[in-house]
Amino acid sequence: MANNNFSRRKFLAGAAAVGAAGVAGFNPLVSCSGGGSQKSGSLVTGEPFKKVSDLFIPPLLDKAPDGQPLKAGVIGCGGRGTGAALNWLAAGPNLTVTALGDVFQDRVDSCRERIKADFNIEVPEENCFVGFDNFQKVIDSGVDVVLLCTPPVFRPIHFEAAVKNRKHVFMEKPVAVDPAGVRSVLASAKMAESQGLKVVCGTQRRHQRDYIEVYKQVATGAIGDIISANAYWNQNKLWHRNPQAEWSEMECMIRDWVNWCWLSGDHIVEQHVHNIDVINWFTGTYPTRAVGFGSRQRRLTGDQYDNFSVDFVYDNGMHMHSMCRQINGCAGNVSEYIRGTKGYTNCQNRIYDLAGNEIYSYPYPLDEAGTPMRSVAVNPYDQEHIDLVTCIREDKPINEAEATAMSCLVAVMGRVSAYTGKEVTLEEMLNSDLKLGPETFIMGDVGIMKNAVVPISGEAAN
Amino acid sequence: MPKKVRSVFRKRSLLLLLFGFALGMIGAVFAHKGIKATSTDKFCERCHVHPHVFKSRKLSSHYATKSGMLVRCVECHLPPEGEGYLKEKIRLGAKDIYGFLVKDSADFNWEARRTVEMAQHFTSQRSCLKCHENLFPLTLTKEGQEAHLYYTQNEDELLCLNCHIDVGHYDPNRIHDRNVGFGSTTVANADVFTVPARVSALETFTETVPGTTVSFKMVAIPGGIFRMGSPEDEPLRKSDEGPATDVEISSFFMAETEVTWDEYLAFYSATGAEGRSTDTEGRRTLDDVDAITGPTPPYGQPDQNWGMGSRPAITMSYYAAETYCKWLSLITGKNYRLPTEAEWEYAARGGTETPYFFEGNPKTFTEKGFFGKLFGKQNELIGKYVIYRANSMGRTQEPDRVEANPFGLKNMLGNAAEYCSDWYAADAYSRLPEKVKDPRGPASGEERVIRGGTFKSDAALVRNAARDKTQTDAWLKTDPQMPKSKWWLSDCNHVTFRVVCEFDENTGKQQ
Repeated sequence: MANNNFSRRKFLAGAAAVGAAGVAGFNPLVSCSGGGSQKSGSLVTGEPFKKVSDLFIPPLLDKAPDGQPLKAGVIGCGGRGTGAALNWLAAGPNLTVTALGDVFQDRVDSCRERIKADFNIEVPEENCFVGFDNFQKVIDSGVDVVLLCTPPVFRPIHFEAAVKNRKHVFMEKPVAVDPAGVRSVLASAKMAESQGLKVVCGTQRRHQRDYIEVYKQVATGAIGDIISANAYWNQNKLWHRNPQAEWSEMECMIRDWVNWCWLSGDHIVEQHVHNIDVINWFTGTYPTRAVGFGSRQRRLTGDQYDNFSVDFVYDNGMHMHSMCRQINGCAGNVSEYIRGTKGYTNCQNRIYDLAGNEIYSYPYPLDEAGTPMRSVAVNPYDQEHIDLVTCIREDKPINEAEATAMSCLVAVMGRVSAYTGKEVTLEEMLNSDLKLGPETFIMGDVGIMKNAVVPISGEAAN
Repeated sequence: MPKKVRSVFRKRSLLLLLFGFALGMIGAVFAHKGIKATSTDKFCERCHVHPHVFKSRKLSSHYATKSGMLVRCVECHLPPEGEGYLKEKIRLGAKDIYGFLVKDSADFNWEARRTVEMAQHFTSQRSCLKCHENLFPLTLTKEGQEAHLYYTQNEDELLCLNCHIDVGHYDPNRIHDRNVGFGSTTVANADVFTVPARVSALETFTETVPGTTVSFKMVAIPGGIFRMGSPEDEPLRKSDEGPATDVEISSFFMAETEVTWDEYLAFYSATGAEGRSTDTEGRRTLDDVDAITGPTPPYGQPDQNWGMGSRPAITMSYYAAETYCKWLSLITGKNYRLPTEAEWEYAARGGTETPYFFEGNPKTFTEKGFFGKLFGKQNELIGKYVIYRANSMGRTQEPDRVEANPFGLKNMLGNAAEYCSDWYAADAYSRLPEKVKDPRGPASGEERVIRGGTFKSDAALVRNAARDKTQTDAWLKTDPQMPKSKWWLSDCNHVTFRVVCEFDENTGKQQ
């Protein structure tokens, strides 16, 4: 066994580097052995650069192979749930949706109609479930796969139920909003692994071919040792729904869920986790502490911030700066940036040397006129489901739950630091009892809205 | 070699080769059979005659398995075959044979061997994991998930035994759960005190704790100057015990004994909130209380099932010890607190400047080193005053087992280590100014001083000057609660404390 002090990092790095492959034998400090100077390897993880064959890359077929029919149940039938259902149905032959669940009837209805309109599939009335217990009924209805697309606070419960009933899972990011949820997902992920279940998460950049090509190059040393990273999600206001007189308090909040921290995790977790996840994926490890700040300037409903800026620090002293904002009329930027000792990359499609000369550009497919298109051949939302179905039918390993849960925990670490103004460590987060939201869910008055406070960091000046 | 012989060898070389091969095979088969034959439960039972081993084994979850599988002795006590099985078999076998021939099994302290500390040396973690490959079965409870997740994150520091010590040999007294009923069975027959002791001079008194049946003796310690630390030529000393420095100490009172379970439980029942099962009260501070917040229920069995009564209370955190003093001060109207390190050593020495407060050379008492192992049995003298490794039977003992030191204090050395209020620093003494009076130690630090050695200590570590420190992280390593308890230590059974009372206007000091 390696040095004791590295056990936690081993676990952490293992989660990122191994990902779905389940490859054992992470060897920290291997590049430092032998007493010589480090020739090639990542300073961030202390590992040597990998060969492409050692990387976990999903199958990336254009269409999933044919096989025995696979029935999916959709849990959470809003915009993303409906979208996921369509992505699932488009992934390949012999795929269907046989059950729908949501807390609202109108969401189930609209999803059902859309599936009927686009794929001429009629989800039986008796398999449409409404209420907080819909997930168990969908799982029990005889499906093979569940698509978990509710607001993320529910995800740990739904994921655990799915795994315990031996269902393959597609689940949207984020997979949790708090440390207690993250730990639950980490444990369920281990159970899923032991059962050979396939789990794909909605961090779709990991299924986007241009990102994957750049990842291969960076992981094998194209920009040298990684020395800094940036992650951005700065965009306009997302959306909100004002409370309606006929809605209960719970309904008001769930219909407005991207504005409530206990439901979404705040936008650093809900949305920006994509970019943080890319940095975690490329670096193969996780930052171990963070100091951040943020505020609420123009958000209309809920209790969240609308901007965060977080300095994440790794054990070797490297920094990742993350910023995210949801305010109209400001500079927009949704991207990542990683700088190494030999060059830098935007992670998506280009690599530059230190002088700024482009040394790699992803070859996008050509259109009919012979000019490169601006997107990959298979859009990543479909690709996720193609990869899931391929792995189920060909029994290849894929389990992204742990990596996504850890990325969520990193984002939660940033949020907690911004809310409190304190430095927060990943270790504290891994061992925190922070759990958001009510203990039980009822469609009624839960006493959260009227007591809602937007966090203010630090102490009042006097 | 004569030619003839050589030619015979050459001619018969094939035959010889075959013969050798056959011999080798037979040897291998017999060796294999021998290993098998000496690995059966029956074989183990022949020497391991102490009957409770088999009784407890038959009651354990590894004997009465749900699936009807029976786990054999060697499957837990030796590593998996091919992973050092033979080597460990020979090591343990040799030890067992030696023990069987030379010692009497009735003399062994079986209970101590069942602690994680000792049991890890004759059970194999790899064997646990060999059978229990999947640590996340679908039937795992929520608590189990959290615990196993914690294990996967701390594999190098944790053993399966930390939580599952009784799976091979059942222990009816073991509790691995929130112990909400702890301390509730102590029924008071004696009269309840209504007023605290009134003290008017620097004289030994008996404190009576109002609202409880608890009383204890507080010994008057007259102030003076003493040499703190050990001289450089003291046998078995460590460098943090010096440089020895003259220190002046004001008069104070010190408890005759380490805080007893009776005393500590009085505090626990007076202040501990019933029903609260987790420590989420971290925001309360000691400074602004008018009533004292007491400990939450412990996890597991704080007294280790050694018994309570006048045995020293153990496994409380430094914070809990400090809170106890605060509580005691509040209800007695005196200033109780933990001793400073200087007060502690002054009291322990009782005017002596020798390694112990009684005669004797640490070298003759120690079991360390070759000669120590052979001849270190002159423990009658030290055993009269100190509960330490050689006479403790692996646990704390009641104070009447020992005689007092010159000040009349018992168990200053040994039994359980005692919290001092100083932060620990290895170079603390070199930072002391000359002619210092009542020093309080470094202004800040990470760990507190503990003094006096323990029931596990070698004679070298129960000297007057021997120093040690708390280990905050390690002592909470296996607490499964989240957050970890701030009142109880999950992984430390050898620390207690002893109160001192200030000699001030509340205790008769004239201005």
